[in-house]
Amino acid sequence: MNNFPILTALVLVPAAGALVVALMSKRHPDIVKLAGVGFSVVTGALSIWVLGKFHTGGDGSFQLVSQHSWIKQWGIGWHLGIDGISLFLVVLTGILFPIALLGSDSHHDIKPYTAWILLLEAGVMGSFLSLDLFLFFVFFEIVLVPMYFLIGGWGYDKRVYAALKFFIYTMLGSAFMLVGILTTVFLAKAQLGHITFDLVELQKASFAVSTGRWLFLAFAIAFAVKVPIFPFHTWLPDAHTQAPTAGSVLLAGVMLKLGTYGLLRFSFGLFPEATRYFRPLFLTLGVIGILYGAIVATMQKDLKRVVAYSSVAHMGFIVLGAFAFTGQAVSGSVLQMINHGVSTGALFLLVGMISERRHTREISQLKGLQSVAPIFAGVFTLVMLSSIGVPGLNGFVGEFMILIGTFLTARWWTVVAAAGVILAALYLLWAYQRVFHGQPDEANKTFSELKLKEALVLAPLLGIIVFTGVYPKPMLDRIQPAVNKLVQHVDYPQPQSPIAAAEGGQ
Amino acid sequence: MLSTLLASDVVAPFSSPKIDYHALAPELVLAGVIVAVLLADLFLEESKKWVLSTIAGFGLLAAFIPIVTLAVSGHRARSMFGGAYVVDTYSLLVKGIFLLAGYVVVLLSQNYLEEGDYYQGEYYFLLLSSILGMVMMGSSRDLVTIFVSLEFLSIPAYMLAAWRKRDLKSNEAGTKYYLLGVFASAVMLYGMSLLYGDTGTTILKGIGAKLQNGSMSPVAVLGIVFVIIGFAFKVSAVPFHNWAPDTYQGAPTPITAFLSVASKAAGFVALINLIYVAFPHGGDVFQPMIGVMAASTMTLGNVMALRQTNIVRMLAYSSISQGGFILMPLAVAGGKSSGNALTAIVTYLAVYAATNLGLFAVIIAVSRKTRSGEVSSWGGLFSYAPLLGVLATAFLASLAGIPPLGGWVAKFGAFRAVITSGTNWGYALAIVGAVNSVIAFGYYGSLMREIWMKPVPDGDTAPIRTPSSLNAALMICGGATLALGVVPGIILRFSDIIKL
Amino acid sequence: MNAVMIAIIEPQPIWYLMLSALLFSIGAFGVLVRRNPLIMFMCIELMLNAVNLSFVAFSRIWGDIGGQSTVFFVLVVAAAEVVVGLGIIVSILRRKPGATADDISLMKG
Repeated sequence: MNNFPILTALVLVPAAGALVVALMSKRHPDIVKLAGVGFSVVTGALSIWVLGKFHTGGDGSFQLVSQHSWIKQWGIGWHLGIDGISLFLVVLTGILFPIALLGSDSHHDIKPYTAWILLLEAGVMGSFLSLDLFLFFVFFEIVLVPMYFLIGGWGYDKRVYAALKFFIYTMLGSAFMLVGILTTVFLAKAQLGHITFDLVELQKASFAVSTGRWLFLAFAIAFAVKVPIFPFHTWLPDAHTQAPTAGSVLLAGVMLKLGTYGLLRFSFGLFPEATRYFRPLFLTLGVIGILYGAIVATMQKDLKRVVAYSSVAHMGFIVLGAFAFTGQAVSGSVLQMINHGVSTGALFLLVGMISERRHTREISQLKGLQSVAPIFAGVFTLVMLSSIGVPGLNGFVGEFMILIGTFLTARWWTVVAAAGVILAALYLLWAYQRVFHGQPDEANKTFSELKLKEALVLAPLLGIIVFTGVYPKPMLDRIQPAVNKLVQHVDYPQPQSPIAAAEGGQ
Repeated sequence: MLSTLLASDVVAPFSSPKIDYHALAPELVLAGVIVAVLLADLFLEESKKWVLSTIAGFGLLAAFIPIVTLAVSGHRARSMFGGAYVVDTYSLLVKGIFLLAGYVVVLLSQNYLEEGDYYQGEYYFLLLSSILGMVMMGSSRDLVTIFVSLEFLSIPAYMLAAWRKRDLKSNEAGTKYYLLGVFASAVMLYGMSLLYGDTGTTILKGIGAKLQNGSMSPVAVLGIVFVIIGFAFKVSAVPFHNWAPDTYQGAPTPITAFLSVASKAAGFVALINLIYVAFPHGGDVFQPMIGVMAASTMTLGNVMALRQTNIVRMLAYSSISQGGFILMPLAVAGGKSSGNALTAIVTYLAVYAATNLGLFAVIIAVSRKTRSGEVSSWGGLFSYAPLLGVLATAFLASLAGIPPLGGWVAKFGAFRAVITSGTNWGYALAIVGAVNSVIAFGYYGSLMREIWMKPVPDGDTAPIRTPSSLNAALMICGGATLALGVVPGIILRFSDIIKL
Repeated sequence: MNAVMIAIIEPQPIWYLMLSALLFSIGAFGVLVRRNPLIMFMCIELMLNAVNLSFVAFSRIWGDIGGQSTVFFVLVVAAAEVVVGLGIIVSILRRKPGATADDISLMKG
């Protein structure tokens, strides 16, 4: 089985699933759902298999590579590969999709709903695995379409507006990226002698300083919209609040990571000089995102919007860590991408459960849930604490590494960002207090306890939250080689501090 | 004077030109089918008129056979009539596109005509004549041949646009199309006369040898400008696009499909012939002109499409804006990315033909039930006609350029062409194009929204019954749109090798 | 003396070209300004004939027969256009007598 094209299968299984589901009869919604879950579970199992086959250590180069020519004339190939940066994102995708399918209810038209989700999974997997610029672009675009329909077709009241806003924002970014990709490729052609979209080959080309900066911006806009980095974030709260639960979970859990992943993989990989040049800008935007997201989250009346804005803040941390250019901070960033996916995904699931039971997400309508549903409240507390970054849970590991690593190279930004950690505690705890504490009124008295099915859906996420928090080493061991390679590639002067020395000595 | 002319050695014996019948076979087969349709129409009873569409359809496919045999015969170019008529890989490729597009239009027309009780014999006769004109355009390498082909394809189209003659809208469509079309031909002809006056020949190659950047006479510049304006009408480029929305809306829907795809493609083919053969060294004149037209065409087309409430009219503007994308590579022709630009345009034409014809097939199918052309009539289409809903979404997504549907290959090629030109001008066009491909989502998305997210108007959810010919057209276009997107090699292996 | 006079006033090909440009401009102007479809149509015919004149004049300048033969094609095609055009215009005038181009505007936007 050594030659089994496992990465290709990761993309094709959900795509095939989408096709199969689309062709099924809509008379038997149970069978449709079963098929959808089946395909996503198989994909999840494949991603776990990838985790097992992934070779720890090494020089951080791509593994399990699968490379075929697709459009010879244009140098476009089917080139998939995985390294420490994408490994856990792929696993996260594999785990989160079955959970999202099981943990949410479409309410109507389950067949297209399931098909769109599976297509989304194929697109996300493809984006994380592609090592060909064009292939990446294709998957990056494919991701938009199912999300557009999921928000627009199965969302809440203002869904159509939110879906269009989401679509136009991300498309505008992608348009710049397309021009950027093509220009990169054709400029590189002069140096490489042949036309190719292959990331590994394109990294060998170097660009004139000003050209590189323009191209970096073309890529960065697309990714900044996706992350979203302040000030491109305005689509996110709308999309999150209007999306169905599964949509929110997947949007926060994996789709936002496409942006930060793209920055690390493509912007950093192709234009190291420009990355260094724009570092202060992105550090500042990251910090603004942290503070802005936190402050705005505090003022929200809708529980889902609180979680949505908390995403803006968390993604700010990830951007901050990525642009710190130290091994520790970037590793922390990569880890935090996973943590955010797990905890925010779980938070959205929980909020979805609340809104299923109460048909409202207004914080003012909810009261005293702790006394009627203690287990539910307990699970919510755990997830929330993970999101805040309490030691012993996963969020802490990521944020701590980011802050420590960033402090070495970007002291003042770190100082300001640290305030964001405190604010995070503020807005989440305050929201928790209003929703769960106190005496339940009439409407909230009938709030039902966590069901066994819901608990089972949440269990894997809770397991990851605790495990990563207590013992992050296995993950970091796999992440670090690739990150170190990337940091070397960016070539930013590394600080000579005891912590960094200890890090290097490991 | 006449006597001197007559005396001056006109007695040179007339030698009849050598005719390569194999090279002319597609045209000859088509001409034969046209005669067959006319004759059959004479002898067929009213109830048997459906046979005509079968003859027309099979005739078009029969004309495709010699194209295949010519393609595999290995000769690189067969030139006839002193270089006025050339059959090479490029012309074979565009002829193939015209014939297949024509075949799909015949499929679209079948039930439309039978149920609408229109004159079938004349309809197919005119349709085939117009296609014959297009097929000739692919090979035209002489001002006169281009002119004759252009009129050959246009004149029947004027009549087809006014085919619903009891409907004032259709009359209006025909009149506008006719008046502006003829006006454009007159302008173009005047340009041709100036080109002839400057170079002394009507053969494109001869003109190309004499026109050089920097040393062009004002007469030649004016000639190039007039000729391009003439064809700008044909491809409905801004600011010469006014006729298109009205004509498209008023004409019978299959003819709208035909005009927006085949007739437009023929205009582009003529432009390619002229620019690549006659003005390859005239970039200083045509590049800025076409560049500005391309940018304004895609922008204005998009902006106008955003505010339309009638589907056909929206598609008319969409097709104007797509025309802008096809013009984009032409704006860098003559430079170092000439080859890329040619590939890009031909690829775009093929993809656009498949996608747009498919979309019109959906429109015809849906309006069989709704009897309405309003965007809102598509509400909830997916819920009662899932297959049509999915196909319409696929076609719209392809027009918008979302992979893996054909549209992205086309857009990609166009962007590649302008970017490889390496000029600031090219980059600027690429940015305008990129922004426009996003604006286009506004209206393509609004149609998709109707299909998937809006309720069914009147709550009438009876399924749509589509006749088999329409189904065939849908399948052909859907299959082609998907195949071109997933395996672009099938068109690129041809369009990459063409040269002019 | 007489011969010189005649040489001066003997028409040069360039005169025909200028006449043709003038005719073409009048025609184009007419199409753009007049609103009666029939008159617009006649203006277009004027333009086509200007083209013919121009082709013949150039043909004379070059001593080449190509331009003259082009004129035959233009004449034939113009005749075909007339047939079709009049057909369309008559069909619209029959339904709306006295219609001008401004009246033919059911569709807008």
